[in-house]
Amino acid sequence: MTCERVFFTFEITEDSHLLPAYRKRGGYEALEKAIRGMQPAEVQAEVAASGMRGRGGAGFPTATKWSFLAKGAPVYYLCCNADEGEPGTFKDRWIFEHSPHLLVEGILLASYALGVRHSFIYIRGEFDLSYRRLMNALQEAREAGLIGQSILGSEFSCEIIVQQGAGAYVCGEESSMLSSIEGFKGYPRNKPPFPAVKGLYQAPTVINNVETLSTLPWILRNGGAAYAKIGSEKNTGTRLFGISGHVVRPGLYEQPTGYRLKDLIYQDAGGIAGGKALKAVIPGGSSTPILTAEEIENITLDIDSVAKAGSMLGSGGVIVIAEGTCMVRLLQVLTRFYAHESCGQCIPCREGTAWMDRIVKRILAGKGVAGDLERLEGITVGITGNTICALGAAASMPVASFLKKFKHEFAYFIEHGRSLNDGRLEVQL
Amino acid sequence: MIEFTIDDKRIEAEPGETVLQAALRNGIEIPHFCYHPCLSIAGNCRICMVRVKGRPGFHPSCNMAATPGMEIENDCADVTAVRKSILEFATLNHPADCPLCDKAGECRLQDYNFKFNGSPSPSVEPKRHQSKFYQINSRIILDRERCILCSRCVRFTNEISGSGLLGIVERGSHSRVERLEQGGVEDAYSDNIVEICPVGALLSRDFLYKSRVWYLEPVASVCPRCSRGCSVNVWRRQKNWQLRALGKEKNLMAYRISARQNPEINGPWLCSKGFDLHKLINDAPRALTPMVQGVPCSLDDAIATVQHLILDTKKPAAVVSAWASNEELAVFKSAVSSWLTVYSGADQEPEVGEVVEDQLLIKADKNPNRYSVEALFGKNSFDAEAGHDLVLVWGDNIDYATLGSAKVIHLATLQPKAGRAADVLIPISTMFERTGSYTNFEGKVNRFEQVFEKPESVQHAVDVFGRL
Repeated sequence: MTCERVFFTFEITEDSHLLPAYRKRGGYEALEKAIRGMQPAEVQAEVAASGMRGRGGAGFPTATKWSFLAKGAPVYYLCCNADEGEPGTFKDRWIFEHSPHLLVEGILLASYALGVRHSFIYIRGEFDLSYRRLMNALQEAREAGLIGQSILGSEFSCEIIVQQGAGAYVCGEESSMLSSIEGFKGYPRNKPPFPAVKGLYQAPTVINNVETLSTLPWILRNGGAAYAKIGSEKNTGTRLFGISGHVVRPGLYEQPTGYRLKDLIYQDAGGIAGGKALKAVIPGGSSTPILTAEEIENITLDIDSVAKAGSMLGSGGVIVIAEGTCMVRLLQVLTRFYAHESCGQCIPCREGTAWMDRIVKRILAGKGVAGDLERLEGITVGITGNTICALGAAASMPVASFLKKFKHEFAYFIEHGRSLNDGRLEVQL
Repeated sequence: MIEFTIDDKRIEAEPGETVLQAALRNGIEIPHFCYHPCLSIAGNCRICMVRVKGRPGFHPSCNMAATPGMEIENDCADVTAVRKSILEFATLNHPADCPLCDKAGECRLQDYNFKFNGSPSPSVEPKRHQSKFYQINSRIILDRERCILCSRCVRFTNEISGSGLLGIVERGSHSRVERLEQGGVEDAYSDNIVEICPVGALLSRDFLYKSRVWYLEPVASVCPRCSRGCSVNVWRRQKNWQLRALGKEKNLMAYRISARQNPEINGPWLCSKGFDLHKLINDAPRALTPMVQGVPCSLDDAIATVQHLILDTKKPAAVVSAWASNEELAVFKSAVSSWLTVYSGADQEPEVGEVVEDQLLIKADKNPNRYSVEALFGKNSFDAEAGHDLVLVWGDNIDYATLGSAKVIHLATLQPKAGRAADVLIPISTMFERTGSYTNFEGKVNRFEQVFEKPESVQHAVDVFGRL
């Protein structure tokens, strides 16, 4: 397996995030190459050849997404979704903090390919250093003539507008992000119309993840075919995996797709903290269904392999759970999060997430009653597929999978009023 | 025309119509809370979910354009199961206090819950408590426990009345409808949100706890308070629920007013003044006994006096009521108008502080039938200089001082203004005591039905004209 890297190509120093250092790494060469020597359609073709799939969570092929854009509109917009709020995910933050120019260049490339004159970055409100580094990078790029009118002396002009979020998880959903950028309450919109037809300010809009856009400079510099050679066949390239939870070295690792999950946990992250056994893994951010230790035995980190095991690779935020963790308490952390973050627009999600949270909280308080688990399962069925956006499903997937795989722990808690384990989330070292 | 099927029934939709709109137009019931034909699509109640053959999952019919050959399943076990679970969510924290809710009997949540759910809530959690009497404005209160956040009222104040009165604040299960500070507190159309509320959350303070709606029945009528002439329903007590002991006056009472859908004139809306029409019906000081020189007398005496006055007059005139119906005006034209000079009157002037005119419904002319009066008798208002010695005043709101020294015969529904008494006063019936029609400022004719019997001592104006 090749050990090609897209992101982790340099040593982090005090000024490695600045423009001179980025230039030294070959920064903005791809932009120059594209603007001077390529037609927008050729850039799109190069991305299509790379076979890259979106890094935001759904894993939709990027070039296909671009091709859905309504034709013949006077204005197109590009939005970079940097509202990285999924618990367990922290890859975009690394890009902002250590290589913001990668994103800026990626956005310019995508804007060039799609004929966009105004691109938006919707950055999570809690990101502080990220925001400052991004603004600094934009300032540097503007001074170098890389943003604004006639970029690099060509006919191509593009502005990048940054919008900070205000702390809503749901604004990471693409349509509510558009509402939020427009200045409205961050309510997801009904689809259809899809953003590719009527998005930001009613214009056709492409929404891509930070990591997706940041990969474009590499693809343009080295060619889509070279990118397609990395990783597994249908999930080309490398991905940033944020591993957290009960591991020795939690952090962000870049690995090609198709890398074994067990390798990531035991080699890169140094194994389970305290030498404990592995109990379960949430493979792609908190809303993806949990997998037990047996289930991850042969999983490789690509979208299809994880899907086959009954979960999702999502945003690549791997949460590792060691033996002895109380699953009821862990689920309560998740239900509380989703109940808190539901936007409250549609009935099933607004009432359902709060209802699930109350039930799990009650079980955890030792006041669970017979029928609670069936009730929880009923609620997950009632929410899934009946909501405006995916948050409803995201909230019910963990509940359904926890109940499916660790039902005995919940039953024990209801019967005895206490945890089957020692009731903690931390690992005692 | 787009042809598609709902439950194997063939349906035609107009281009651009959604499945829900086409279904409702064709008499197929798809339940809905948040959808309203005059408001934008919110798609947040999720009760109108249907299944489309060939597509996975369920889709809200309110936001799905009808396409040719679509096969919709509306009435099947799976769809009903989805609706049942949506209703379980909607009623999770709903107090289910139908026995004391004014909306009971005409509540969508109640109807759908009976139809699709029908079982007690599976929840064992205590209900969440919120404010029961949140004041929206001086006319409306909000019971937040009953609210399902369909956002109809919010969209109404933003899109139709334009006051921006309401908004939804907070998120998740803490979301609630609130009066927004930047919105105008005065909204001349705010009462409509009580009507469009699909549950009993928004309540009219005026109608609060006054009657169960199933004791009442609507009678089609026309609002006479401006020249728009909106269609309204006047709600009176049903025949078989008439009270015999506890206050018989309630049998002759208008309980409330609601807008009656009339796409030509007012759509489904009505202004607050229209919603207050029942106060005019119930509380206005009626003229009830005939009088000569301010002394009560019999009707025959009054008519005889009138006939004497007419015989003596040299230059008689008449001021015609702009509250009179088209039919009455026709009778007046043929029976009386030949021997006197006819002027048009104004029965109502704008009140202090009210919205005089706006873009939606309210017109500056506060008389319902001025169009017909002017078409028949011209636009002249009374000219005191013309030297009339007798004036037949038909209608209210007239100051005898403006008539000069002429003798006055007054046909009035209300007690005249204090001051000089009319030479003859004959009480007449109001529009709610007879059938007829008005022609509004655009020339559109709108018919009203009789709501109540007239009091015995009061005459229909046309009967008086016949005896002059």
